[in-house]
Amino acid sequence: MTFLKTLVFPFTHYKYLLLQLTQREIKARYKQSFIGYAWVILNPLSQLLVYSFVFSVIFRFSTNNIPYIIFLYAALLPWGLFQGSIFTATQGLVDNSSLLRKVAFPREIIIYAIVLAKFVDFFISAIIFSLFMMILHVPFSTTSLWVVPLLAGQLLFTVGISFIFSTSNLFYRDIQYLANLLLMLWMYMTPIVYPLSLVPSQYVWLYKLNPMVGFMEGYRSALFHDPFEWTIIVWSLGIAIVIFFVGFFIFKKAERTFADVA
Amino acid sequence: MPNPAITFQHVHKDFYLQEDRTFKEVIPNLLRGKSLTKKYTVFHDLSFEIREGETVGIIGKNGAGKSTILKLIAGVTYPTKGTVAVRGRVAPLIELGAGFHPELSGYENIFLNAAILGMHKKEVEKELDQIIEFSELGEFIHVPVKKYSSGMYMRLGFSIAIHTNANILLIDEILAVGDFKFQKKCLDRLHAIKKDRKKTIIYVSHNEESVLDFCERALLLQNGKLIKDGDPRSVLSEYHTL
Repeated sequence: MTFLKTLVFPFTHYKYLLLQLTQREIKARYKQSFIGYAWVILNPLSQLLVYSFVFSVIFRFSTNNIPYIIFLYAALLPWGLFQGSIFTATQGLVDNSSLLRKVAFPREIIIYAIVLAKFVDFFISAIIFSLFMMILHVPFSTTSLWVVPLLAGQLLFTVGISFIFSTSNLFYRDIQYLANLLLMLWMYMTPIVYPLSLVPSQYVWLYKLNPMVGFMEGYRSALFHDPFEWTIIVWSLGIAIVIFFVGFFIFKKAERTFADVA
Repeated sequence: MPNPAITFQHVHKDFYLQEDRTFKEVIPNLLRGKSLTKKYTVFHDLSFEIREGETVGIIGKNGAGKSTILKLIAGVTYPTKGTVAVRGRVAPLIELGAGFHPELSGYENIFLNAAILGMHKKEVEKELDQIIEFSELGEFIHVPVKKYSSGMYMRLGFSIAIHTNANILLIDEILAVGDFKFQKKCLDRLHAIKKDRKKTIIYVSHNEESVLDFCERALLLQNGKLIKDGDPRSVLSEYHTL
């Protein structure tokens, strides 16, 4: 099979399985909980309230006329998508080891299903976010549409990392603990709770090597009609594509041994 | 003569066992230049062919490689050398209900499990009533499967696997399914499938009587080698001399 064919195979021949596994991720999570799916909204909302209390009442970052809560939400939401996806995907293969030992199907479907399910959660939160923006009279601009390609890039990056982490975690479980640690550090190395302008200027070039900086700044520029810093956005998209293909390559290479180590 | 359904050609299969799983053990061994993994060979040079519609039993002591053969046929593991060719879709009746999610109902799990076994939406919908009926779960079908007894769990798993349109069935110690009555129902169903000769059945069991009763051919494995291939009666008598 050619490379391209391998790449699209799960979406052409395994659509139904992908759909079923995604549904499983979504449905199963909040079964036997009293308010069920409402947690999808309550979780980010409560996180948001805590952060906005700490960083707008206590630290008081300046965010250029944009209410802090909107400034924060614009980055915290996509970050949550990134972090949640990687966190779950890292354990994805281990959690499904009984399937790996039993039935053959392209294993990347497990990873895609996890990320897709997180994306559904994200989408619901994003609607709430739009309502927030309206209530707080933040004007919508057409540049907001740039969010779509940026999100696509972020998803590629997410899936690429998930490929690498989930494969490694199948061989050595240390990865899931390391991933948690890494994600926590990563969040504070990315302009989410604070604006990029607070980063000391002598380190800013180094700081911007982090591909998530380009995405987060991109979302804010798009939503708040600020000028885009194209160099870091192009850098982020480039890294995302590279990481996706590297991850995919590693994953498919290791896939043949999954059942032997799972 | 029917077409071959499964062909093993000079199959060699190694497993690598990770022996030193912790840092404390790995580092000294790395320094000494010792390999991190230990190679374990299951098959040296295994060749056989199974034709469409055949019902073949695989016999051998624990560790002879029976399960590995099933995994190679299912396509979840690959030979180190040699080739395994499988024509058609495989339904493994191994670890029944392996893909079940405990929090989802039996009904929801039918769709999930059938998709895992390679079915499409329309196919599942077509078979749905028969799957539920065969499982004898009745109203329990809408209860989360974590509340099921192990027998109910197996019954649903068996019922889904048997209703897929796979043409190769892999059966591993399946007859521990449910109570005596349900076991008989499963066996009757398998006999019916066998008579049809549309599906190829690979059967692994330690129960010699069921192999004699069910299979028309048997393979005897010892230490990763195929030492006898023939009718179940002669293969079993050879097995007793080992």
